[in-house]
Amino acid sequence: MVNEERRKFLGICLGGVTASAAIAVGYPVYRYLAPLQKENAGSKVVIPEQEVPAGGAKFFEYAGSTAVLVRRQGGELLALSAVCTHLGCIVQWLKEKEEFLCPCHAGHYSPEGVVISGPPPKPLARLPFVVANGAITIG
Amino acid sequence: MGLLKRLTDWIDCRLGVRDIVARELTGYLLPCNINAWYSMGSILLFIFSLQVVTGILLLIYYVPDADKAFKSVTFIMNDVPFGWLIRMCHAVGSNMMVLILLFHMLSVLFMGSYKRPRELNWLSGFILFNLVMGISLTGYLLPWSQLSFWATTVATNSVSSIPVIGQFLVEFLRGGKLVGPPTLGRFFALHVTVLPLAMAALVGAHLFFLKRTGVSTPPFGVKDSKNRWQGDVYRYEGHPGGIPFFPNYALQDATSIALYLAFFLAVVFFDPYLFFTRESFVAANPFQTPAHIKPEWYFLANYQTLKIFPNEFIGLAVQGAAMTFLALFPFLDRGSERHPLKRPLFMAAAVGGILLWLGLSIWGHYS
Repeated sequence: MVNEERRKFLGICLGGVTASAAIAVGYPVYRYLAPLQKENAGSKVVIPEQEVPAGGAKFFEYAGSTAVLVRRQGGELLALSAVCTHLGCIVQWLKEKEEFLCPCHAGHYSPEGVVISGPPPKPLARLPFVVANGAITIG
Repeated sequence: MGLLKRLTDWIDCRLGVRDIVARELTGYLLPCNINAWYSMGSILLFIFSLQVVTGILLLIYYVPDADKAFKSVTFIMNDVPFGWLIRMCHAVGSNMMVLILLFHMLSVLFMGSYKRPRELNWLSGFILFNLVMGISLTGYLLPWSQLSFWATTVATNSVSSIPVIGQFLVEFLRGGKLVGPPTLGRFFALHVTVLPLAMAALVGAHLFFLKRTGVSTPPFGVKDSKNRWQGDVYRYEGHPGGIPFFPNYALQDATSIALYLAFFLAVVFFDPYLFFTRESFVAANPFQTPAHIKPEWYFLANYQTLKIFPNEFIGLAVQGAAMTFLALFPFLDRGSERHPLKRPLFMAAAVGGILLWLGLSIWGHYS
């Protein structure tokens, strides 16, 4: 005769052991596959001032993403995220027009990162920076 | 439970899965006197799957470039979370696969399961054994350590003793005169694509042969242990009144796999560097040969055989002859008796062969 209580108890035990084994295997595999935390993530980036001439732009890696420093013809310096807010492409600096263009879907941004035209829903994120002793420190 | 039953009913009306389960699992009957040695194949299938999974995971960070390979392996070991666990499972698993494969082959030999009509089962298994040795050898080079580099140099060099074409073969194998970056590219391609695909195909063939011939009856605990195969027409060896594969033998398979896992994980966690030497932790240096370089434990007998013969070609020919003899063993041993104790000549040769292999391996280790 089948003892239903005993069978149920053993079933629960087997389920518990299987779940524990799945966690014991799944957690290391998840950690192994999860993006690695870079040591410099969130730290500051220092760029010499002469690398950003008037009307020019300097693209660089910042906090695991791409950022850009741009100096307008008038001398105003701006630091922005270079990731288009539409679908994540990297914007290009059009020196003659003094504006950013996202080549993926023709999103146009002003040097301040404000959307001029095209599909981007939000402006480019502004990044904090300080200029001291001929160096620009972002972050 | 109601939902699960409804889902099963839904699938069953479309695919007839209950019929498959009845035929292939609960209705698949095995000999009543079947023993735990018959679960070695399931353990091997489990190990192979684990090797494939850990191998794919290692490919995420491993770089098959002579300048970067060692660094990438060091990165996996030291910087990637649980990278050491994945790599150790892969490295220890490869050794375990050879070990369990040897047990599987020995059980088949001692129980006479290789005898006709199962010659093809043996042959496909024997080729698989050679492929496992090949995949272990090619994988050994990939960390690009001093041990990898020089063990591969020694292993590939033995081919050069083949008359006339030996030197050409070595260079073809290495992709150059010496082991170098081209060798890494070749061995990597063999290790991650050619050999695993060939192994998967042969495992399929091996299981197909097993399915068509039926599981052999162990020679123990039965009055008549003789092979009754006639050889006139195809006959499936069924076991009416036997025990069902599911749940009875599936539980034995699960138990054997659990026991294997306990042993395997004990090595991984408590002695992970059991199969490593000091040279495994130093990057390959083509200008500095380390002293006393030795192959893996399963190649030690081959290594020592090459050393004891004055001519390397004779050493290689002896090994080739021994391997050919083993490959063709079901065609040579035509006797119908399957019980090992009723086959004195086989027993003497088998025990002598095992002792010789062990002796040569120990000699090779200490020489």
